[in-house]
Amino acid sequence: MITVAPQVNQANSQTKFDLENLSPELTALEIKNLDLYYGDKQALKDINMKIPKGQVTAFIGPSGCGKSTLLRCINRMNDLVDSCRVEGQINLHGENIYDKRVDVAALRRNVGMVFQRPNPFPKSIYENVVYGLRLQGIKDKRKLDEVVERSLRGAALWDEVKDRLHDSAFGLSGGQQQRLVIARSIAIEPEVLLLDEPTSALDPISTLVIEELINDLKNKYTVVIVTHNMQQAARVSDQTAFMYMGELIEYSDTNTLFTTPVKKKTEDYITGRYG
Amino acid sequence: MVRQWFKSGSPWIWMTGGAVSISLISVIGLLAMIAWRGLSFFWPSEVVQFEMESAKGKHTVIGEIYDRELVPTSRLKLAGLDTSNIQSENVERLLVKTGNREYVDLDFRWILETDIKAATKPEALAVFERTKNGNFYAYVERVIENGESVTDQPIERLYELVDRAVDLNDEALSLQNGEIGHINYELERLRLKERSYALDNALTDERVAELAAAREALRKNYEVYEAQLFELRKAAKRDQVVVRDMRGEEVTLPLYQVLDVWFPNDMNFFQKLGHYLVQIGKFVGDDPREANTEGGVFPAIFGTVFMVMLMAVIVTPFGVVAAIYLHEYAAKNAVTKMIRIAVINLAGVPSIVYGVFGLGFFVYMLGGSIDELFYPEASPSPVFGTPGVIWSALTLAILTLPVVIVSTEEGLSRIPSAVRHGSLALGATKAETLWRIVVPMASPAIMTGLILAVARAAGEVAPLMLVGVVKMAPTLPIDGNFPFVHLDRKFMHLGFHIYDVGFQSPNVEAARPLVYATAFLLVAVIVALNITAIGIRNHLREKFRSLEH
Repeated sequence: MITVAPQVNQANSQTKFDLENLSPELTALEIKNLDLYYGDKQALKDINMKIPKGQVTAFIGPSGCGKSTLLRCINRMNDLVDSCRVEGQINLHGENIYDKRVDVAALRRNVGMVFQRPNPFPKSIYENVVYGLRLQGIKDKRKLDEVVERSLRGAALWDEVKDRLHDSAFGLSGGQQQRLVIARSIAIEPEVLLLDEPTSALDPISTLVIEELINDLKNKYTVVIVTHNMQQAARVSDQTAFMYMGELIEYSDTNTLFTTPVKKKTEDYITGRYG
Repeated sequence: MVRQWFKSGSPWIWMTGGAVSISLISVIGLLAMIAWRGLSFFWPSEVVQFEMESAKGKHTVIGEIYDRELVPTSRLKLAGLDTSNIQSENVERLLVKTGNREYVDLDFRWILETDIKAATKPEALAVFERTKNGNFYAYVERVIENGESVTDQPIERLYELVDRAVDLNDEALSLQNGEIGHINYELERLRLKERSYALDNALTDERVAELAAAREALRKNYEVYEAQLFELRKAAKRDQVVVRDMRGEEVTLPLYQVLDVWFPNDMNFFQKLGHYLVQIGKFVGDDPREANTEGGVFPAIFGTVFMVMLMAVIVTPFGVVAAIYLHEYAAKNAVTKMIRIAVINLAGVPSIVYGVFGLGFFVYMLGGSIDELFYPEASPSPVFGTPGVIWSALTLAILTLPVVIVSTEEGLSRIPSAVRHGSLALGATKAETLWRIVVPMASPAIMTGLILAVARAAGEVAPLMLVGVVKMAPTLPIDGNFPFVHLDRKFMHLGFHIYDVGFQSPNVEAARPLVYATAFLLVAVIVALNITAIGIRNHLREKFRSLEH
């Protein structure tokens, strides 16, 4: 049980954004009046938020609050659930990704995703990383080698695996597998990277490595992370959104949200009264 | 005490363990019995000379002891035999294989133990394995080479002469089936070509001349080969051996009919072992003779394996694609469920029904239409409109389709959705995810389906009797004549061979060991096919080992 608000990473609070009136150049994603239903049950209620470019935005909230569901809306992974229905808009480059003309595969190339549990393919480390490129029909060996090295370095895994690139990915540890999955996602150079509780299945040391990695990633990508761990949100994110029962309760820069929450529910949550 | 024992759970362990033991014993017992009875047939058993004395007088019987049994004396009396000299209630009698089929009424006979005055195993007794009329048991009297008796070491010379005759016969056979068979095949193709020109009204004088020239060339070749063939046959007929059989008469055996000669009573263990292995080799590698009661079963092994592989090639893609649709694309509603149940129930339809369907649909409808469309020149004789190996493979493919579909679906449902989502999140479409990730990961399950399908198909006989299997196929489905693979041909099958040898054979006693040997071979072929498939599956499993955390 946490009784004190977690320490906020001071480095994250240097730049402050006016999240209400974020200019289009600085906006990576704009979520507008988003409602989501599983059958008759409404899981997300009228979500409105703007996610800034090149920043780490965290979604926090108790289990079942809809934070993962919201994340999955951003690359339309919810399409895979039969009974799921989405209303409202999510705009990427000013275009609604729920528009009928949108190519979902192309959207997902642009918005990468890393899941709770590491899910490497039953292939070699090398083939895991180039999977997305092979889908795009890239066969040039030199280009692929180059991408593998760049992506693995980007995921802080290169030094550990450079001598066994052609071994099975299943031989890696859980933390290494998760970094491999991140490398696989950044190999296709998405703009946005969605992380769905990326460290929940990992040990503390691997968690630390991944958190450091997230800090590096925001230089190149817009990162959106779902976490049930408030300290983690405080450590890695610039903006934090607190969700409760399918509603977005409070959304501000991390420092403010953790030190001077506006809403009573947020305060109760971050001080550990429930959740 | 008993209550205590029941409560401890021991009876339950005994019961379950007992069930496993009984299953194990029956499987091992079955295999051991088939293997023993089938394989012991090839061991060169000793030939015994019996001096018989009964009411009918004295005579000699020479042969291998095949079987022995006890019969009640009263039964012999009823059969009209003189039993006055028999005191005991039961009497043992022996079944002796006497061979020499053309000189005695039956090459197997029962003799009573009490009639035997003496039984010896003379080392000079020879067994001749012949292409016609089975084995001959006799003493070698003279070896005649090129019309003259061999005086210097006639037995050694006999071995050489037998080898020579066998080689010449092999050469003649390969000439007959190879070159001459090829010419006949080409002549038939020319005839069909001419006929198809005639049907198209395109038989110009030019073409007639062309065909005639081609025919003439073939005929010239044929004459050359024919002369060679006669030459070989004449050379093979050169030598004879004169032997004395159990009636005490001299018989001349032409060596070109002799495949092998051995003196079982004069062989040590290692010589017998060598002979045994050679005999097994011949059984596996030779063509059958004498209405399948002698010789080998190679065409049946080849036909079985070829048909099963053809079936596997057909059923795998069909089954996998159908399973993918059912599992991945079909809406999850009542109709899909019904289709799935129907597919599973297809496995319960008796196989003969598939045979009838195969005959009606594949052979007559499909094959008939193919003949009408593509082979009008061959009519009225059918090409595909008659049972053949392709129709057998298709019929069995339908028979085994449910197995493949069910296993593949099971495999697909075991793939963790995390892996699918990982692929989709990288911008793969559903089809790309399927072909690059899901189906490769499900391949061990597909192999399991294939293993079950092969095991079922290799053992089916009933439907094949309707759609392509024959007692004796003159040619294999694969040979050196264009287009090399002849899917329209009929074929031989080990399962049908067992039935044919066991039930349709004119010589029951001679066929009995062959039934066991062929059955053992069928089991061995199925096991070999399955071990291959299991090996591939284990390799795949290792490769696509599912996520372990």
